[in-house]
Amino acid sequence: MRRRNSRKIRRILLCQLSIVFVSFFLLAALSSVGCKRTSSTVAVIPRTCGTALWEPEHAGAAAEARAVGLNLYWNAPMRDDDMQTQISLVEKSVDRGMAGIIVSPIQTLPMRTPIRRVLTRGVPVVVIDTELGIPSGPKLSYVLNDEQVGGQIAARRIGLILQGRGKIAIVGIGPELKGNIVRERSFETTLSHEFPEIHVVARRLGLESVPQEQHSAEELLAGSEPLDAIVALSLASTRGTYYALAESAKVGLIKLVGFDQDLLPPIRDGGIDSVVVQNTFEMGRIAMELMNREIHGAAGSSEVKVEPVLMTRENVDSAEIRRILNLSWWSPQ
Amino acid sequence: MSPLIARRSITVALSAALVISLLAISGITYQLITRRGPTQHQMISLEKQEDWQAFGGTWQYADGVMSNISDERGAKLMTGREYWANYSVEADVLLLGQYGDAGLIIRASDEEKGVDAYHGYMAGLRDLDNTLMMGRADYGWREYAAKSVSPRVSAQQWYHLKFLAFDCDFAVSATAQNGQTTTIAIRDPGCIKSGRFGLKSYNTGAQWRNVEIAPATQRDLTSMIGEIQPQLAVPNELPTGSEPAPHDRYLEPIERDIQAHSSGVNAKSIGSLRLLSPDVPSSATVQGVVTLTSPMLYIQDSTGGLAVSSSHPHAPLQIGDEAEVRGDVYLHDFSSEIRNADIHLLWSHTPVSPVAVTASQAATGAFDGQYVEVQGRLAEKNEDGNGTGMLTLEDESQSFLAVVNGLGRSPNLNSLKVKSKLRLRGICVTDSRYTHDLTAFALLLPSSGDIEVLEGPPWWSPDHIIELVICIFLLPFAGMTGFFFVERWRMQAVLDERQRLAHEMHDTLAQSFAGLGFQLQAVRDDLTDGIDIMPQLEQAQDMVRNSHEEARRSISALRPEHLESVGLLSALEECARRMVSTNSSVKIKTASSGNLQNIPLRVSDTLLRIGQEAIANAIRHAHCSQLTIALDYEKSAVEMIVEDDGVGFAVSSDSAGFGIRGMHKRAENITAQFRIDSAPGQGTAVRVLAPLPPSFLRTQSHRWLTRLQLRKIHGKRNRV
Repeated sequence: MRRRNSRKIRRILLCQLSIVFVSFFLLAALSSVGCKRTSSTVAVIPRTCGTALWEPEHAGAAAEARAVGLNLYWNAPMRDDDMQTQISLVEKSVDRGMAGIIVSPIQTLPMRTPIRRVLTRGVPVVVIDTELGIPSGPKLSYVLNDEQVGGQIAARRIGLILQGRGKIAIVGIGPELKGNIVRERSFETTLSHEFPEIHVVARRLGLESVPQEQHSAEELLAGSEPLDAIVALSLASTRGTYYALAESAKVGLIKLVGFDQDLLPPIRDGGIDSVVVQNTFEMGRIAMELMNREIHGAAGSSEVKVEPVLMTRENVDSAEIRRILNLSWWSPQ
Repeated sequence: MSPLIARRSITVALSAALVISLLAISGITYQLITRRGPTQHQMISLEKQEDWQAFGGTWQYADGVMSNISDERGAKLMTGREYWANYSVEADVLLLGQYGDAGLIIRASDEEKGVDAYHGYMAGLRDLDNTLMMGRADYGWREYAAKSVSPRVSAQQWYHLKFLAFDCDFAVSATAQNGQTTTIAIRDPGCIKSGRFGLKSYNTGAQWRNVEIAPATQRDLTSMIGEIQPQLAVPNELPTGSEPAPHDRYLEPIERDIQAHSSGVNAKSIGSLRLLSPDVPSSATVQGVVTLTSPMLYIQDSTGGLAVSSSHPHAPLQIGDEAEVRGDVYLHDFSSEIRNADIHLLWSHTPVSPVAVTASQAATGAFDGQYVEVQGRLAEKNEDGNGTGMLTLEDESQSFLAVVNGLGRSPNLNSLKVKSKLRLRGICVTDSRYTHDLTAFALLLPSSGDIEVLEGPPWWSPDHIIELVICIFLLPFAGMTGFFFVERWRMQAVLDERQRLAHEMHDTLAQSFAGLGFQLQAVRDDLTDGIDIMPQLEQAQDMVRNSHEEARRSISALRPEHLESVGLLSALEECARRMVSTNSSVKIKTASSGNLQNIPLRVSDTLLRIGQEAIANAIRHAHCSQLTIALDYEKSAVEMIVEDDGVGFAVSSDSAGFGIRGMHKRAENITAQFRIDSAPGQGTAVRVLAPLPPSFLRTQSHRWLTRLQLRKIHGKRNRV
């Protein structure tokens, strides 16, 4: 009897000891997983952070992530032309065991191979704002700014403000980003079909920075060809052209229609006639929604297009524009 | 409740209490650690670069001032401990350029390279909207407050910034050179409780000096903000620069910016300067991005790069600034230079990426003055007294030099090993001031962070080869030595076993054979004398029978599974009963006390041998009427007692015969205490106290050890 009791007590003690050890190892394992972020974390990597164009994507993605119970890792290169850092962030996200990656490639072609590698490792990807040429599938979705519509909006705005007649220049043409190519083609096609009396007399390739764009626009304005309007196809070219117009005191004399949200005061002031803004808030929200489906294996082939909106002096304070420019990534929408 | 269960319960209760106490102490310690900040008020050394960790930026230290000369958005330089909670940091801060901000970070953790890639709080001065601002970053920025500063925040002005955190209250103050102070106080209910501190700039270069840190208390907080309650943290919802109102607050700096950076459209490309006549002095205007500021200013455009020297005052330039340079052009053999330059800052934030070239390509001079990336193996590393390092590298047919500031202060560079393969980013120059006409080109590195180790030196170095040869020689020697020791241990084990068997045979067979010999001798003598030999023959027959039985018993005793199956006490009792079967007057008693425990086989076997000898002695020599065999189980030992009420004897060292010595020796083998208590007429007690290993080890290991030994024994037997 005594022997049986002692064995029982010993067994209980052994059990307790085992529980302590198992708990310790479980805690250690959980904490190490916690350091690397759990598998419910989705990396969202825009072209850069802290700008009026990309912070709304943060807000949209964060709102949806909260709704579906996902965590979000938000980081990007410090410059929107730092392709190498963006690729490095994508690769690191896979190494950290992220549940999925939402990325807005800085350039189309260099991102193809990294994304293919991510997909072969079974990590779902949602690409925002540009097509990579890889067809969408169960692990790859696209959320695109509808550049076709954007080009049409800009062309019709030019037609409206020039009353169907005049000479214009196109700046910021970016052959390295497919969205920009579509944007430009759509604009020119719409313009030639709907406003044949408006002629494109100059074209300038997009450059890396605002000062370069400013310099390019200065040269354009100093040229012999008089212009009625300029269409700037990118954020940097819009700002650079505006600076060149301001410098040469031609603000308002030559109309400027830009793309992608950046500075609001010149719009309110009339220095920039209008800007075709991307609804990056909605793009971020939809991307996270698709990612949630992909993570849970419910997604099919997906390609969603979000229509841009024309922001003018008249509607800059409207509810629609304020929602697009929303930066409140920290609070429920 | 039995005493045993009560004792176990107390043990369990005490163990639980101990664990709880340890957890409580750990918790309290953790609380104390996490609640405390730095232990005392101290100046922070900016010079010791190994104490700081950079996340972006180009950081340089000189004359007590730490500078970030890049205008990256969100460059950070961090130090301190993640468990620091209540503390204040203060420093003098200067913005090098416009349209950015610079300040201090506190309670930071999980820092990465990125605009807002950290968890923590930042407060700083921003010249775009002329504010002292404070907010929180969680891989995204939440600005809690922005308060106008008077006089206006402007570049190249020192401000004293103090940032304090106590519990979830934060206070920040900025004091201008005229003594005017602006203060913000914020309460963030779900605050970050602890973290490191650091320096941060956004969109502009900046400088910091006189960095101090101190533990903070409620009194410190009150002395900064008075008795008023800090306002609750509510983040602004629109980005700086995009806020619709007030209008002129944002449009005005943009217009200033435009005017400040208007450029001349008649600038020449840098590459075209090579086409100027070398004989006619000429001046020119070029535009380019600053790629290096020290030891020489270099700018670059898409056609090339050149050195610029200026005697005119100009705004301090940072790497990445776009500048317009007007001055006298000097053409050297392989490079161009503009002297007496009038430098006009056009724009910031346009850093160029390096062009990857081979050393052979760089050696052509085609990349002179340009920011390039080159790979090579480190051949030599030198440092002058000013902390400027000179690296000599080789790549295929070319050697080249790399000049880098702060070589000795960077732990990464100190650990550079000769023959390592490096990737360097710097300005490619063919100027003989740097090449000393020893190499085709040299690289001027903006900072030590522009050196990346691709791979360490090749393993096959002379040192490693010598070490390998020594190892090859030592390995067989070590193997032989090990083998020798193992063999020696094995031989010792064999000898020990032989000695044990010798004792066994002496105790049993040898004595029997001797007795048998005596009987046969007596028979022969009696045959000669005609005496009846039947008694001797009967006695001899008895002895043969006894010897046979003894031998059978010994063989049986050598088999440990027998002991395993019946238990030690039963085996001893069986042995005793077998010996006294012809003498039924001896009573045998057995007893067991304490908690029955598993005894390791080696210990129980030894106890059995000693017990058999003691029983045999008692029955043969003591003429006892009662024999008691007892086992007493203690917590970590077992005691065997064989006691008789026989004639006894005087115990002394001389009285120890071969049998007693054998018992003693056996006891020593298991580190047991052996004792004989006896006196003439008072019986004899043989006591052996054998230690036991800890119970949990014994219980877990006992079975498989036993099985292992049994398997070995069976294996040997099968082979036999």
